[in-house]
Formats: sequence, C-alpha cells, structure tokens
Amino acid sequence: MASSILDIGKTALNAAQVGMSVTGHNIANAATPGYTRQVVIQGTALAQNFGYGYVGQGTRVLDIQRVYNEILAKQVNNSLSSSNEMSAYATQMRYIDNLLSNANAGLAPAIQNFFTSIHTAAANPGDPASRQTMLSQAQSMAARFQALGSRLAEIEGDVNTLVTASIGRINSYSQQLQQLNISIEAALNNGVGAPNDLLDQRDQLIAELSKQIKVDVTEQQDGTYNVFIGNGQPLVVGKTRYTLTTMRSESDPTRLEVGYNGNSGPVLLNSNSLSGGELGGLLQFREKSLDVVRGQLGVIALTLAETFNAQHMLGYDKSGNAGGTFFSVPGPVVSGNVSNSGDAVLDVTINSAGALNGSNYRLAYDGTNYILTRLDNGSTQTFASLPQVVDGLEIAISSGSMQPSDSFLIKPAIAAANGFAVAIGNIDEIALAELPSAGNGDNGNALKLAALQTALTTAGGTTSYEGAYGQLVSLVGNRTNELNIMSEAEAAMLEGAYNAQQAYSGVNLDEEAANLIRYQQAYQAASKMMQIASQLFELLLTIGH
Amino acid sequence: MRISSNVVFQSGITRISELMSSQAKLQQQIATGRKIQSPSDDPVGASRALQIRHSSSINDQYALNRQTAASNLVTEESTLASVTNLLLSVKSAMVTAGNGGLSDTERSFLAMEMRGALDQLIGLANTRDAAGNYIFAGYQSQAPAFVKTATGATYQGDSEQRLLQVGATRYMEIADSGAEIFTAGGNDIFQTLHTFAELLDTPITDAAAAAAFSAGLQAAQNSIDQGLETVLAARAMVGTRLNELEALEEFGQELSLQYAQALAGTEELDYAKALSEISQQQIILEAAQKSFVKMSSMSLFNYF
Repeated sequence: MASSILDIGKTALNAAQVGMSVTGHNIANAATPGYTRQVVIQGTALAQNFGYGYVGQGTRVLDIQRVYNEILAKQVNNSLSSSNEMSAYATQMRYIDNLLSNANAGLAPAIQNFFTSIHTAAANPGDPASRQTMLSQAQSMAARFQALGSRLAEIEGDVNTLVTASIGRINSYSQQLQQLNISIEAALNNGVGAPNDLLDQRDQLIAELSKQIKVDVTEQQDGTYNVFIGNGQPLVVGKTRYTLTTMRSESDPTRLEVGYNGNSGPVLLNSNSLSGGELGGLLQFREKSLDVVRGQLGVIALTLAETFNAQHMLGYDKSGNAGGTFFSVPGPVVSGNVSNSGDAVLDVTINSAGALNGSNYRLAYDGTNYILTRLDNGSTQTFASLPQVVDGLEIAISSGSMQPSDSFLIKPAIAAANGFAVAIGNIDEIALAELPSAGNGDNGNALKLAALQTALTTAGGTTSYEGAYGQLVSLVGNRTNELNIMSEAEAAMLEGAYNAQQAYSGVNLDEEAANLIRYQQAYQAASKMMQIASQLFELLLTIGH
Repeated sequence: MRISSNVVFQSGITRISELMSSQAKLQQQIATGRKIQSPSDDPVGASRALQIRHSSSINDQYALNRQTAASNLVTEESTLASVTNLLLSVKSAMVTAGNGGLSDTERSFLAMEMRGALDQLIGLANTRDAAGNYIFAGYQSQAPAFVKTATGATYQGDSEQRLLQVGATRYMEIADSGAEIFTAGGNDIFQTLHTFAELLDTPITDAAAAAAFSAGLQAAQNSIDQGLETVLAARAMVGTRLNELEALEEFGQELSLQYAQALAGTEELDYAKALSEISQQQIILEAAQKSFVKMSSMSLFNYF
C-alpha cells in the first residue's frame, strides 16, 4: 500500500515538474516572435482493480500542446500580406510626393521664371543681358526637368533593387520551409507528439513569407505544408521547393520582372498575378503609379518643347534669320520583345504632343491585324495596316515586317523629361522678332512666346503646361493620401488580427505566474504525500521491534 | 478576455509612437507655418496653391510690364511736350516773320532760328529710352529714327509699334512710329522747317518775291499747325494709355491681394488651432505614457 502511495506521489511530483518546465518555457519565450504558448495536458493514470474497486494510480502527462488556432493565424498572415503591400506601395509613393512637395524644387517655379524672363526680353528685345537671362532661365528649367526625370528613373532603379531583395528573401524562406517540413515530418513519425517549437518556427516563416508575398498554405496528412504563390505556382511542396528569380522584362530592358524556376525552366510571372506583400506592392507601384507619373511629366516636356519650338520657328533672331529649334527633347522609346521572330523596325514619332495622354502602349501583330493596347487602361485598337496616328503618336514600320505574336513596347514620354535640353547656344539665336528686318525693338514673337505660358496647349488642349503639372501634383497627392489612409487601415486590421491571435496563443505573464504557484504547490503537496508515505513505512518497520 | 503580455507592451508602444508622429507633424507645420507639407497632406489644396502661384506670378509679371510701359510712355509724353513747345515757338517766330517791316537781315536771323529748331526737332525725334532704344524708330530701335538730310530729315525706322502685355488680354503700344508723328499724312515738318528757313534767306526784292514769301509763310504755318495737331493727338493717345495703365494697375493690385489671401487660406497654418491641438495632444501623450508605465509595471511576479 505504502509503495503505491509513494508511486502516486512520484507521478504527482513528475507532473508538477513538467508543469513548471512548460510554464518556464512559456515565460522564457514570452517575447519570442511567433511563439505559441504551450499547456500541459494531464490525465489520470490507469487505475488498478483490487477486487473491491479501482484504486487510482496517480496522474500522468498525456501531451504538451501548443494553443494554436489555424484560422486566427491565417487572418494574421492575410493581414500581413495586405498591410505590407500597402506600406511598400505607400513608401515608394511618398518619395514622389516629397519630390513634388518642395515649392522651390518643383517644376512650376522653373516654368514661371522662364516665362518671366521672356516678358523681360519682350520689354527690351535688343538688350543682350535680357536675352542672356532668358537663355539661362531656359537652361535652369531644362535642368529641373532633367532632375525630376532622373530622380524618377532612379526610383525605378530602386524598385528593381527592392524586387531583387524581396525575391532573395522569398527564396531563403522557401528553403527554410523545406528544411522544417523535413524535420517536422520526421518528428511526427517518431510518434511522441507534435514538435511544438518547430511548428512555431514554420508558422513564423509563413508569416515572414506573407510579408513578402501573398501565399496559400495547405497542411498535408503527413504534417508538411504546401505553399503556393500567385496563380497557384507551388513554392514548397512537401520536401521539394521552387525558387523565384529576377528576369529582364522581355519587352522592357530597363525593368526587372519576377521569374519562376519551374520544372521546365524559368518562366515570367505576370505581375498582375503577384499580389500582396512587399513584392506585390512594389510591382503595383511600378505599373500603376510610377509609369503614370513618368508619362505625365514626359508629356509636359514634350508639349512644351513642341509648342515653344513651333512658335520660335515662326520668329526671327537677332540677325534676321528664321528661328530654329529652341528645346530638344527625346522622342518615344520603342523596344521589341526579345522573342520577336520578324525583322520589323518600328518607328514611332510624336505627331502632336498636345494629344498625348502619358500612357505606354503595346503593339502586337496577330498575322492579319495590328493590335495596339493602351497599357494604363487596357483599351485596344485594331488596324489592318500601318502607319497609323493614334493619341498623338505616329506608328510606322520603317523596315522589315512583323510576324504573328511579335510585339513592341512603346513608351512615348519616358525619356522626355530626362533628355529635355536647350538646343540653342547663342543668345542671338533667340527669335524674339516677328519680322526678318533685324530690328532691335521687334518683340512681336517674344510676346507670342510669352503668351504660351497661359495657352491651353497640353492634354488635348485643355490646360497649360503649369496646369498639367498641377494635375500631376494633384494626382500624386491624391494617390499618396489614399495609400497612406489604406496603409493605416491595413495596419489597424493587422493589429486587430494580431491581438486576436495573441489573445488566444500569446503568453500572459500573470497567468504563467499563477501557474507557477499552482505547480509549486502541487509539487509541495506531492512531496508531503511522499513524506507521509515514507513515515507510514517507517512506522510499519517499528512494529517488529 | 485573455490578453498576451506582448500585446500590452506592443499596443502601448504603437499608440505612443502614433501620438509622437502626429505631434512631429504638427511641430513641422508650426515651424514652417504651412499646413501643406507635401501634396498628399491636401491634394486639392496643393494643386490649388500651384494654380494660385501661377496666376499670381503672371499678374506680377503684368505689373512689371506696366511699369516698363508707363516709363516708356512717360518718356514719349515728355518728348512730345517738348515737341509741342518747340512747334509753338516756331509758330510765333512765323508770326514775327509775317511782319512786313522786317529787313532781309532780320529774316536771316529768323532763318537761323528755324534751322536751330530743325536740329532740335531731329534731336527730339531721336529720343532714346532708358535702355538706349530710339523710341520713335518702330522696331528699328537700334538706329536713330531720323537722319538729317539736305532738305530736312528722312525716317530710318519702320511703321511697327512695339507692344507689351500689360493685362491678361491687353497688349499696349509702348512706342509710336516717328513717321506717324513727324511726317504724318505727307506733312513733313522737318521739310517745312528747312523750306521755310530757305525762304527766309531769300531776299524780298520785288512784289513777286513778297507774294512768294507770303504764300510760303502761309504754307509753312499750315504745315506747323497740322503738325501740332498730330503731336497733340499723339499726346492725347499717350495720355489715354497712361490712364488705362493706372486702371489696369489698380485691378492688378486688387488681384494680387486676392491671390495672396487665397494662397494664405490654402497653405498657411491656423496657428491658434495648431497650437491648441499640439497642447491637447501633449496631454494625451503624457496620459498614454503614464498609463503605459502603470500597466506594464503591474505583474504578479512583483509579489513573489
């Protein structure tokens, strides 16, 4: 009997010890990211039948479980994806917002100063100093265009770097997930219960992965995770994993796209299918905002150059010669798809800058028709032949021919701001006069040039240069504002989901303190019981004396 | 409800850092005096501010142009006033010349006076503005408007009028062609002065000569009268332009004031509101900090 009491005491002592260990583990990992609190599942030991009834044999530890809820964790992961997507998008957008925010660094004052200098020159067209001022202001306006253009190009480059880094992280996570799948499956096969901490690590990796890209996770019978991205491309399947890679865009050599190393070699993933996470946010920013801003700024540069040059050529310079090109600006950038099989050379020129809309285009050929897709809104036009004039662009094939499924990417305004420059070098070449008589007092053309500042030249003749810039600022401001709000909202949603998940799975130190006391008391009670059992046994021994 | 100890810390810190960043934003607004720090703060306001700046800078430019125009017109007006005086003195000399009692010698003195007047008139017609432009030469302002010849002076300029934009839709003439003033309608007053001086130098020996002189005097007087009329008409026109400039200037200043107010309303910070907001946030921040310290220091472990 006494030995049984001693045994029961031992089971109680053991259970209390396990309880204290688990509590200690919880306390130690209270701040560990991704840690799920663990609890001891205790049950009675198998009772023994003594004929008169079952006598309990104490307690035993059945299992150590983590308090994990798959749905709550999934909500956190989804929230992580959308929150990181929004914040990556908003962060990039804020760079443009800040770029345009500085009243002195913006384009508007440069345009104003340039036109002011034309008015000054109009008041005194023969004065070399006022001509020099006009030339200098033209150069400083050109420098402003270039600075804005090159900063936007730099942001494009930064996005390439960030996309590369994000893909690197995704690949590192997928490798770790593969390792954990292997370890977890092995541990489960041992049959001693779930490897809680390994499970936590794997779930934490899924959370980290969700920050980079939206993932779908399914748990297999054997305990391994299958992880999918995009349109269902597998990233980790059981014990195998696949990697992402950066690929030069087939149509745009300046752009890095996301490639997928599948079983049959790398394939380009459509950026529309890659949503969520930092990677999704970066790709969205690039296509929905950066392209638009670069296009709009380029349109202003192209329109200003075209309309100013046209008026300048109508006038006469100091020597009585007809005016020449005042500003030079690069035209559309065309790049053929690397997989084109035809030998067509596409020639795209600006037909009327005022009719440009800032969008990029894709020209494809299906064997019969040319299909032109406007990339900012997806609208298409079909032509049986080229050349065609569309939205201010003249599109022609200068040599060769396109083969079915060949395509070209057309960026009408991408290079315009970067390459905007003053074409004249000598102040005497400024055509301020309207008559070829070389009169010093002739300011007729200067007045007409100055009037271009308020003329409705841009965006289909609806606004002035500065008006178009104002629209660009408003567009960027609105988009940034919207993203800031959405990103705050997503952060709040994430906090809610995280709090809900933590309320269930997180460690509460007070609770653990109480548990510590409880297990301590259980331990003390068990010790006391064993002491009593030992005293009883000694009592029995003294009977013989 | 269970709450994890992590959340207690994290949400406390999140709230405090949110409050701090909103305080930093207010601080930035107060330091710059502008409520729009970047377009996203107020997209509509930011683009409106650009629009107002654009309009305001153009308005300022018109004001500058008006100054230039006024300065040119004042120069023209004072030149034309001198021309008027000169022609009036020529006219009175002609009245003297008409006095039958004058000797040939006395007339030759008057002839010298007429030649002097001719030089003076050429000088006035070749008046230059502050920048050195010949104001009556049309577009050919780099060269004198009139060059003296054996029979008076010839016009070197052209018939163009220099304009400046002095209002949104107003291009004002800031100079007049010398041809329109000194030789208008074929009435060349330079030639008149020369011819008359020659006439004065011609001795009156007989009745025929006297009749010729009298006819010549009459023609000269007519010409000078006509010339005076032209000059006075030109002065009236210049005066009208100056008046118009003044009216435009008043309107421009009114606009400038409106733009300044609109810009202030769009961009400038309401200091009273911002300062009360920042002190309110200060209180909230302090409360959040205190409650965070209280909350996080409460632990069962304190009683072990």
